[in-house]
Amino acid sequence: MKILIAVKQVAALDEDFEIREDGRDVKEEFLIRDLNEWDDYSLEEAVKIKETSSDPVEVVVVSVAAEEADESLRKCLAKGADRAIRVWDEGVEGSDPVAIARVLAAVAKSERPDMLFAGVQSSDQTFAATGIATAAFLGWPHAAVVSSLDYSPGAKSAVFRRELEGGLLHEVEIQCPAVLTIQLGINTPRYASLRSIKQAAAKPIEVKTLADLALSAGDVGEPGSHSRVRRMYIPDKGQAQLIEGDAAAQAQRLAQIIREFKGDAA
Amino acid sequence: MSRTDAVTRILFEAFPTAEVRLFYALGYTAIGIFCWGVYVQIRKYRRGAALALEGSVWSRVGDMIGNVLSHRTVDRRDHAAGGAHRLIFYGFALLFLGTATITLQYDILEPLFGIRFWQGKFYLIFSLVLDIAGVAMLGGLLYMMYRRGWMKLPKLDYARPDRSAGDPDFERPEYRREDWAFLWTLLIIGFTGYFLEAARLVWLQARPDVWDTRWWSPVGAAIAEGLGSLGLTAHGGGVLRLSLWWFHGLLALIFIALIPFTKVKHIFTASASLMVRDPLAAQRLPRVPETQTAPGVSKITDLTWKQLLNLDACTKCGRCHEACPARAVGAPLSPRDVILSLREFANATLESGTLPPAAELEVHGKSPGQVAMETLWSCRTCMACVEICPVAVEHVPIIVQMRRKLVEDGAMDPLLTKTLQTIHKTGNSFGESKRKRGAWTKVLPFKVKDARKEPVDVLWFVGDYASFDPRNQRVTQIFAALLHEAGVDFGILYDGESNAGNDVRRVGEEGLYEVLAESNISALAGATFNTIVTTDPHSYNTIRNEYPDFGGKYEIQHYTSFLKKLFADGKLEVGRPLGFRTTFHDPCHLGRFNKGYEAPRDLLRLVGCELVDMKRSRDNSFCCGAGGGRIWIPDPVGSEKPAQNRIREAAAIPGLEVYVVSCPKDLTMFEDALKTTGNEGKFVVKELIELVREAVPVRQAEALPA
Repeated sequence: MKILIAVKQVAALDEDFEIREDGRDVKEEFLIRDLNEWDDYSLEEAVKIKETSSDPVEVVVVSVAAEEADESLRKCLAKGADRAIRVWDEGVEGSDPVAIARVLAAVAKSERPDMLFAGVQSSDQTFAATGIATAAFLGWPHAAVVSSLDYSPGAKSAVFRRELEGGLLHEVEIQCPAVLTIQLGINTPRYASLRSIKQAAAKPIEVKTLADLALSAGDVGEPGSHSRVRRMYIPDKGQAQLIEGDAAAQAQRLAQIIREFKGDAA
Repeated sequence: MSRTDAVTRILFEAFPTAEVRLFYALGYTAIGIFCWGVYVQIRKYRRGAALALEGSVWSRVGDMIGNVLSHRTVDRRDHAAGGAHRLIFYGFALLFLGTATITLQYDILEPLFGIRFWQGKFYLIFSLVLDIAGVAMLGGLLYMMYRRGWMKLPKLDYARPDRSAGDPDFERPEYRREDWAFLWTLLIIGFTGYFLEAARLVWLQARPDVWDTRWWSPVGAAIAEGLGSLGLTAHGGGVLRLSLWWFHGLLALIFIALIPFTKVKHIFTASASLMVRDPLAAQRLPRVPETQTAPGVSKITDLTWKQLLNLDACTKCGRCHEACPARAVGAPLSPRDVILSLREFANATLESGTLPPAAELEVHGKSPGQVAMETLWSCRTCMACVEICPVAVEHVPIIVQMRRKLVEDGAMDPLLTKTLQTIHKTGNSFGESKRKRGAWTKVLPFKVKDARKEPVDVLWFVGDYASFDPRNQRVTQIFAALLHEAGVDFGILYDGESNAGNDVRRVGEEGLYEVLAESNISALAGATFNTIVTTDPHSYNTIRNEYPDFGGKYEIQHYTSFLKKLFADGKLEVGRPLGFRTTFHDPCHLGRFNKGYEAPRDLLRLVGCELVDMKRSRDNSFCCGAGGGRIWIPDPVGSEKPAQNRIREAAAIPGLEVYVVSCPKDLTMFEDALKTTGNEGKFVVKELIELVREAVPVRQAEALPA
């Protein structure tokens, strides 16, 4: 039995960041990297399934990323993943979620897992598309925003719950293999002690290229994407001012502003 | 031969040979049982993990003998108990040595070499000394009985804060029974000794060598006079002597045989524990050995032989129980009970011939003998228990090593998990950008040197709280201005500095501690400086005591001694004596951990403050509750916090104006506790640095933010 988990090393903003010269992203040195929070939960869900299963279950994490993501992959290994795969090629730069999903689907085809988990979304780009697009490439059933899961490895179907508006719960049965995107709060991710992270450093990370997955440069990057980032920027700030003074003075000033706004002469 | 030369101890006189033989048989049996017991105990200790002791054995033996003979550690914070124990100890030791001397002559020297010394003046003086020793011992024992039976001391109450009524090991009445049995046995041995002596005198009153020298045994002689006046005849004395002889002798033999199996063994275990004492037990925690596959203590056999010995040394005196800040506020922890639980566990599992399977050696849990995680997480690692223990039990390393196992399993408060992840990610517990570590310097009218870029005389290790906490930043800025004013050539590491790791290590996250320590040591290696100064006692402790184990050896001072020197050298001068009525809170890591009791007090006097110490001060200072990573774990709602307990203690000082602290975490904890105890407005909490600033006219007044 095997569960494949798509993970991403996301970027968080440091204080006082600056935008890159090409205007399409934040400068690298102002980014703090970490494992995407949602992926922490989907990994935990898989590891829990593995720990409670009577049959052996292999938990494999995969990321489409450059070498720097190894740090997050090691964290996954420390938390109980058995193997880690990283796919990278220069051409992947600039891929949109659909192009990334194409690569993930190729990995899934070669790994043949019984289930594929992804996070609902990544905290830095928030497209919430990669998991579902991967299912589309694989032609697998899929469900998003899973908040509770009942699945025995190898079973033909799984039952999961999703939270709907108005406090409703949605209980759904899905055929396996399937792609589920996992919501925060489905479990309590475990703590990876520094010791276990250091020990995981000794475990190998399998690095694959596009060629290994029978993909070409045209499948990824801007040629393989349906969308591209035009620019990233901080919008102009709106205006606000604090009106000071006692209640009467504040009221007088407020009335004055309203009159000015309406264009009345003072 | 003069008449007194003939005087000697009457031993087996008038004993049938069979009875003498019987006595020897019983004596050897008792010694045999004793030896077997000692073997079982040593086998138990040897089942613990290996540990190599540092330093010379002879200095350890010397220290131990000094501590045992002086009773220094037993005397502390309880002179009455110390005094009574001293009486029992010296009384018992002399009586034991006296009896051993008889054996030496009667069974060894005389039969083998014909040497006799147990006679004449020597015997008479010895007789007197032993009679006095007996009085001392009985007096001590009677006081201890009074203490147990009538004083109702809370520290002698064995009810546990980590169990509830109804749990099988809640009150442990068997301990009380053992205490009383111990006292009564010794008391009866002592009294029957005197009566035996008296009966012998009455029996042999016709013999001048016995009767004329009777007042060399004053207690026995007095009792003999009494028995005589009650009508006891010489014949009656003989009968009484024989039966008392057997009673006294058998009781003494039983006592000897039971030493290794009862609390009496503390005679040996406490001495041995004092001998293997680590003077830096809590200050410098043990590293995880390279060979250890699972970190921390999970099984009883993961404790070292020395820790297993520590468990057996405990005499339940309750001083740690009394000193523990967690116990004082009702947390489910008593250091005494952690030790006793583990001891009961070790005795149940490690005394049998074969070692039980590994699953039965797991010490984490809620069954009798196991230690619950709530108990372990209640500890503030303030060292109050280790510091006061009269027999050198080292609780804190045991608790932290057990926590290492909990951390590995992720069995901790979610907020603590988050904090550890944050520290790993950003190098500080505030989750702030590394880049902002030196941001507090921006408001200063002078530039603080970057010690990574230019050499400095003094490297200031700032620490997390002093760098990032807004209230503490104000103190940090004042300290910078004071250094500047005094013309000190100083610098900081800016974003090269990380959390020093003191508390991370005490949480039990050893891997993260190693990362932090190595990162700081490599940052320090990239700077040129002569000495380190810090305002943070936690950083001070780990850099001073623990970094050397990682190759970082530095001269480091806490700011209190550094400022004191600046005043002494005339670099700073007091212009406005303050005249406040103050009290001083000794930070655990400055006081107990590193004995920095005087410098802050000297500074307070220097700036013209009146100092009124709280009852719990210096080595008995009461932890603010923030240590051991507890600052990152919320205290249970509704229960008193240690800091509140402490502020209430200070509030009892009449006319108190300033509660003075010298630790960033203390400032945070006590300003909060001042408000939550409703003492706001009655007195204020201030950093000693702030008082110094008020007393020193700074030329660059604008250098100091308000």
